[in-house]
Parts: sequence; structure tokens; C-alpha cells
Amino acid sequence: MKTDIETPRKAHLKKFPWMDRLRRGWAIYKQNLLGKIGLSLLVMFALMALCSFIPPLIDKMYQPMTGVDPEITRSTGPSLRHWLGTDFMGRDILSQLLAGARVAFLVGVSAAFMSIVMGTAIGMVAGYMGRFVDTVLMRLADMIMVMPTMLVVLMIAALFGQLTIWTIVLIIALFRWPGVSRVIRAQTLSLKHRPFIEAARVAGASHLRIIFRHIMPNVLPLSFLYMTFRVTSAIIIEAALAFLGFGDPSTVSWGMMLQWVWKTGHMFKAPYWLLPPGICISLITLAFYMLGRAMDEVLDPRLRKEAGSD
Amino acid sequence: MKMTNDKKAILELENIVKKYTSRGSFFGAHGKEIIALNKISFKIMRGEIFGLVGESGSGKSTAGRLIVRLEKPEEGRIRLNGREVTALKGKTLKEFPRKVQMIFQDPYQSLNPQLSVFDTISEPLVIHKIGNAGDKETAVWQTMKSVGLSPPDDFINRYPHQLSGGQRQRVAIARVMVLNPDFVVADEPTSMLDASISAQIFNILIEMRENLQATLLFITHSLSAARYLCDRIAVIYKGHMMELGPADQVIQNPKHPYTKALIDALPKFGLSDEGIKPYNTLLPVKREASEHEGCPFFPRCMLANTTKCSMEKPLFKKIDDSHWVACFYAKNE
Amino acid sequence: MALLDVENLSIGYHTQKGYLHAVGGVSFSLEEGKSLGFVGESGCGKTTLGMALMRLLPPNGVIRDGRILLDGVDLLQKSDEEMREIRWQKIAMIFQAAMNALNPVHRVHEQIAEALLTHNASLDKREAYEQVEALFQLVGIPKDRMQDYPHQYSGGMKQRAIIAMALACKPSLIIADEPTTALDVIVQDQILKEIINLQKEFGISMIFISHDIAIVADVCHDIGIMYAGNLVELGSREAVFNNPMHPYTKALLSSYPTLTGEKSRLMPIPGETPNLIHPPSGCRFCDRCPAAKATCKTGEAVWVKISPDHKALCYQCGADCRNE
Repeated sequence: MKTDIETPRKAHLKKFPWMDRLRRGWAIYKQNLLGKIGLSLLVMFALMALCSFIPPLIDKMYQPMTGVDPEITRSTGPSLRHWLGTDFMGRDILSQLLAGARVAFLVGVSAAFMSIVMGTAIGMVAGYMGRFVDTVLMRLADMIMVMPTMLVVLMIAALFGQLTIWTIVLIIALFRWPGVSRVIRAQTLSLKHRPFIEAARVAGASHLRIIFRHIMPNVLPLSFLYMTFRVTSAIIIEAALAFLGFGDPSTVSWGMMLQWVWKTGHMFKAPYWLLPPGICISLITLAFYMLGRAMDEVLDPRLRKEAGSD
Repeated sequence: MKMTNDKKAILELENIVKKYTSRGSFFGAHGKEIIALNKISFKIMRGEIFGLVGESGSGKSTAGRLIVRLEKPEEGRIRLNGREVTALKGKTLKEFPRKVQMIFQDPYQSLNPQLSVFDTISEPLVIHKIGNAGDKETAVWQTMKSVGLSPPDDFINRYPHQLSGGQRQRVAIARVMVLNPDFVVADEPTSMLDASISAQIFNILIEMRENLQATLLFITHSLSAARYLCDRIAVIYKGHMMELGPADQVIQNPKHPYTKALIDALPKFGLSDEGIKPYNTLLPVKREASEHEGCPFFPRCMLANTTKCSMEKPLFKKIDDSHWVACFYAKNE
Repeated sequence: MALLDVENLSIGYHTQKGYLHAVGGVSFSLEEGKSLGFVGESGCGKTTLGMALMRLLPPNGVIRDGRILLDGVDLLQKSDEEMREIRWQKIAMIFQAAMNALNPVHRVHEQIAEALLTHNASLDKREAYEQVEALFQLVGIPKDRMQDYPHQYSGGMKQRAIIAMALACKPSLIIADEPTTALDVIVQDQILKEIINLQKEFGISMIFISHDIAIVADVCHDIGIMYAGNLVELGSREAVFNNPMHPYTKALLSSYPTLTGEKSRLMPIPGETPNLIHPPSGCRFCDRCPAAKATCKTGEAVWVKISPDHKALCYQCGADCRNE
């Protein structure tokens, strides 16, 4: 054995070697037009969400829920004071729109995140353990998937009365994890028999270690991808619930705005009130979808293999 | 200190049987039972490089997998240093990977694409809680240098897709070596690599034997590679041991018709005109034969006796000091 | 006249990382009825060369320079329509991993008959099937297995079916790219013998591409050694084997373990193949060459003729090579 033991210089061991991969992934992402559009839209909405705190600070009347213009008591069109006009109670529509962006992100991302965490964990366990555990978990997933989401959620809402925003988030997550888990399970199944997993077993790794150290990192990119799709679905569900009157009455969301438009009979009378929330819902959904498609290209393993050799 | 002159058997397989039941193909055949290994037995001596040569379907890889406990045999025993390993529990089970390790065939699939080189090689140390962070780094550095991934700094942060096939296989070998195992199964470690890269890997394996005093089981389909690397060669066909002996003897003086056929089939580098007489033990067309009775090589054997060889299975017997054959007609010439 | 004349062929791929110089300035000729083997390791460009001869490069592949003369006609000037006529009828290819080239949902004999019918409008179905039967007999597939599906065939049989398909339209040239790589040793030997017999019987010219120099030595009359996109040595089988000139050829030969003869320590070639997106100037083997000189990187490529049928590429001045 060689006797010169060089003390390794610790500085050379990168703490987070995966940062390079993020950088490269970004380089690929940047080239995708859809991705750039999607990301720009999302940045715009994120700014809207951040700015939602500003209007009430300018003047109390700009508060989305409770701010009432002392001079206006009905729905009016865009003006200098109210850039998008006011709703039926004289509340500023623009501040409502900004607040809605905040809610959309909150609900969308939280619900998506929760469903991904649940779906990934369950999918990995089902795929790796197989047999009985797999069957039980997947039948459970099937049952949930088969249920008509909106109907069941409405029933729950009807049973429990008004729901808070976080209950809505939880319910969305509970209904959306099965889709994720199926995909993750399929991926886990294909990974389970790959030689590097066997190598880990031969090295003595426990099942838990294999799942979290070997399978999870290979499955996570897929999870993130699916998260973008889940966000759109979560936003839409929340909007639908709010529109139908089952939302959280203390939060202003775009769906809630649409409900107010409809309920107060302003559907055809106040386009400045009807269109902004509707367009926002469509655009943010589109933006997340584009994000997902661009990420797909980044994550496609074909792109990550070395250049073709003979 | 392990002594290389100690000629005791480090690994022993005794009457190992391994079966697989296939679920039946789309076109309706019911689940067939495939006997991958049919009562095979052999011993591997401490410090040697033992070659197991066979074609696809011979069961050679299965034998390797049973030894590292990726799978369990249906019958038979495997002994490591005299102790049975087929049914291990508790602490001895946990320590088993520190004694027996495996190098896989496909360097493109045997490394986790999400782990850096450092992570991959240090993982066994992490699993077995060997040393602190500094010790681990030192161990990884040294191991990387001994497999030729030098300077280690160039490689530690790389990911598998940034490495060539040869480099990946070195990482896989480093991962095995870092635990300092007594016994290493190398399952066709070079079949997916180019010749010049394979040569590099062969030399690393030889050094592994010298420096770590590890015993090696080299599984391959190439008789020439086995001749180069191994002290003894065993030939396996359809789950049966056909021949076993010192490498040079098996190659220059093969006793089993299958071994002779393998030697005939090897390309001779254009030297075939040099008057090397082929053994010609292979039938041009396969015979009809029962799958479970008689010698497994009977359907293709030119020298077979149609009654005896089709009904009886020849036993794997010693025909001289160190040469074993499973053939009724193997003569000790 | 040579059947195939390739002059100064240069091929590359447009990749994300840049332009990959896959094959640089390759020239050779192939006589009728003879076989030429290209040997090299992965990345040397041999498969690219084979595909380019059939003009079957992937969309990002481009033939930058050179001519491919088949019977005196430049294939690079032909239109796609004209190439389609030439493929299979004049040149046939046996691909790498050809075992997956058979459509799993059609019976084997149907697929071969289809190939026949597509290229020969005058045939009717019955004649086509008769020819298929004759082909199967030729390649050694028993008649009762003709109507099977591909998955019912063993690896060796699938390969024979592919060979039958290649022979179907009686081409004058067959390009075989690693036709036996995935097969067991004994089956490989049988298929190779089959290929040699067929080639002799029908006088078909053959280009045989392989990473295994031993196989090529057994099968081909002439051998070309490729490294990093360049043809570095070209000659008859005996000449190249008994008297290898190029340092890479010598190194390659000494990295194969042999079954007979002295058991010397294998000498692997240190280092790695060069990056072909930014190929080094001068000789591409320089960094790994035991006989490298300063002039190798700056010198011009010269074909050194060792004998009438043997030449090697060198970047040092001609005399030095001969002395090695």
C-alpha cells in the first residue's frame, strides 16, 4: 500500500455539488420560450402578491375586505382613485385583485406542496415495499381518485359549514395526492431493480436508507414537476369553491370576487370587476403549466446523458 | 494480518440449487420453472482469483448474486470462512457486507446518478459508521488513488454522467475497496467496456488482490480474460459445473467437450491458418432431448453416447490432483 | 475497378455543446467480393462512418466533405428518393443491436417478404414468400420456424433473420455494424462463419465494423484501424497483425488477453480518448502515445506506405515511423 497519505484539503470537497446541476438545469430552462413566458408571468403575479400589502397602507379605504370609500357606495368603473373601479360595496377592486394573488399563491403552493409530500412518500413506500403494502395503498389511492372531488368537497363544506382557508388547503391536498403517488410509484418500481440499488443493498444499506438516499433523489425531480401541475389544480379548486360560496368568507380570493360579481348581479354590468379576476385565474394557471412544461424538458434524462458516442 | 500462503478455502458452495418461476408469456405458456443453478458445488481458496466462465443463461451471475446475498438459494449451503452465510441474523448479518462485496457489470447503471463520486464511495463507510468525517475523506482519497482516479480532487465532485465508462467502473471498484473486504465478486466487470479500458480494469483487479489480499471471484463469458486474470477456472453450463482446474490446464488441456467447444469458438486473431486443430465437439444441429434428464450438454455434444448421456447426469468428479470434470468420457491424458 | 471508393470523408454532429468532429478525412477503397473491417473503440467514428455510407445519419449529423463513390457514382449527390432505391438493393445494413430491428407484432417471414416486395414491384406475393424460404434455408433457420414471431427466436436466430433480410434484395455491399456483439461466444462463432460463407458464395463486398479486433481478424481480408475519428492504419489482415505500425494499433493489440502464447502483462493505454468537440491539433493519439515527439502536434498527416497493401498515418516525418 502506498505510504504517502495526503491529507485531503477539505476546501475541495464541495458542500453542495448539486448546485452545479441546478445551474445547468437553469441554462437549459432559459432556452425554452414557454418557460420564460411562464416564469415572467409568475414573477408578475408574485410581485402583485407582494404589493398587496401596500394599498391599505396608503389609505384605509383601500383595504380589500373592509375598506370602503366614504364617497362611493356602489360599483363604479375605473377612475384615478380606484384604478380598476369599485365593487358593489365601494371597495377597491385593484387591492382585492392583489390580495387575491397572495391567496392564490398561498393556497396553490401549500396545497400542492402537501399533496406532493404525501404522494411522494406513499408512492415510494408502495413501490418499494410491494405486495400487500403496495396493494393497500394503491387501492386507497384508487378510491380517492374515483371520487368526484368537487362533489365530495361540497358535501364536506355543507356538513361543516364555512371552511377556513387552511381547511380548504388540507382538503385539496387529501384529494390530490393519489395522482402523484401513482407516478412516483411507477418511477420507484423502475428504479428498484437498477443495479445501483442492488449495489446499495450489497453495501449493507437498510431499506429506509435506500428509500430516502437512493430512490428519493431520483424521484424528486418528478415530484417537483408534478407540483407545478398540482398548483394549477389547487388554485382552480379554491376558486371554484369560493365562487360557489363555499370559500372562506374572511379571505379575498379571485374566486370570491367572481362570486360577488355574480351574486350581486353585476355580471354583465361591470366588466372592470368581472374580467380582472377571471383573467388572473386563467393566466396564473397557464403560467404554472408553462413552467411545468419547461421543467419537463430540463428533467428529461435524454438531455442529461453524455454526447452520443460510437 | 492475512497470509497469502494460507491455502484454506475462504468460500464454499455446497449443492446450491436456485430456481426461478417465470410468470408465463403473453402467448399463454404457464409459469415455467427455470433451474438457474442445479446442485453446484465448488470451493474458492483464500487469496486466489477464481474464474467462473459461462455463456448467458449458464447461471454464473446467479451464483455471484447468491454469494453476496442479493438472493437466497432454494437448497444448499454457502460457507464463508467455514461459517454458513445462507441464514445470517443480527450483528453478523450487518457485518457481512464488510467481508463480501460485489462489482457490477454495467458501469452506466451501477452508480446512483444523483450522488457525486465522493458520496458514492463514502457511502459504505457511512452505512457502517466507520470513522469520523476526516477519516472518511482520507479513506476515500486513498482508495481513489489506488484505482487510478488521480488526482482525486478532479473527480470527487463529479456526477456519473460526467465520467466515462472506465472511470465509472473505477468508482464502483473504489466503492467496494473502501470497506476492505476479504472476498469480492466481480460480475463481468469489463463486458461493457472497450478493450484498452478493460485492460486497465484487469490490472486494477490484480492490484486489488495484491494490496488488499482480497480473494476474487471473476465471473465472465470470456475464456481469454479468465486465462489472463485467474489462477483457477471453472466452466459452467446451464446451471451445471462442467469443468474446474488450474487456468493453464483448463485452457491447454481441456477435458470437457463444452470447454473444448468454447475454445474452438474463440476468434484466433487471424492465426487460424497456423494449423491449430479445432476440437470439433459441437454438433451442427441440436438434438432433441429431455430438459431434466441426462447431461445438460448432451443436445450439442458430438462425443456423446446417445443412451448413456441422454439418461444419466455425469457427476462432477476429480480426475486428477486439481482437475474436476463432469463427463463420462473425460480421460486423464 | 473498386466497388466502393471513399475519398476524404469528414462527418460531424451538431450537438448542444458544439460541433463534434466525428470522422475526419477518411479514404479507402473496397474491391468487389472483398471484406474490409473497421476496428476501433467507442467514440472512434466507425459507426458514424457506416451510417454515413448509407446516408442514414441522424438529423443533427452532417457530411462536411468528401465523396462516396459506389460503382463510380457519388452517393452524396443523390436525392433522398434515389437513396431509398439504392438502400437495400445495392447496399444493405446489419445494424448494431439488430435483434431489436424486427417488429415484434409481425411474423418474421412476413417482414422479410415485405422488404422484398417493397423493393421489387414485379414480384408477387407467392414469389416473395418462395424467396424468403430460400433465404431462410441459406442462413440456416429451420423451415418450421419461419412463421414464428420474433420473440420466439433466440438471439442467434434473430441475427440470422436480420442477415436474411439484408441479403433479400441481393445487394452488392453489406455494412455490418457489430452484428454479433450481443451474442454468446459459440453462437457468435457460428454466425461469423455463416457470414464468411455467404460472402464467399455470393461475392458480396462487406464492411465489417467492430470494437473487437479478434473478430475482424477472423472475418475480413483487410483491416482499418480507427482512432478518434481518424483512420490511422489500413492494410491486409496479415500485414496489420504481423506488422502493426501505428502506436495505437500496437497498443490495441497488446490490450487483448490471448488464449494461447505467452501470458504477458496487458498494457492498457493510459489516459482517455480526446474530446472531439475541440479535437487536439496534429495527431489525436499524441497524448497517449509512447512514441510521441514534439513534431506530432504540429506536423502534417502523412500516409506512410509500409508495403503495397499496408499504410499507416503519421504526423512525424515519414522516416521515423518506419524505424519503430
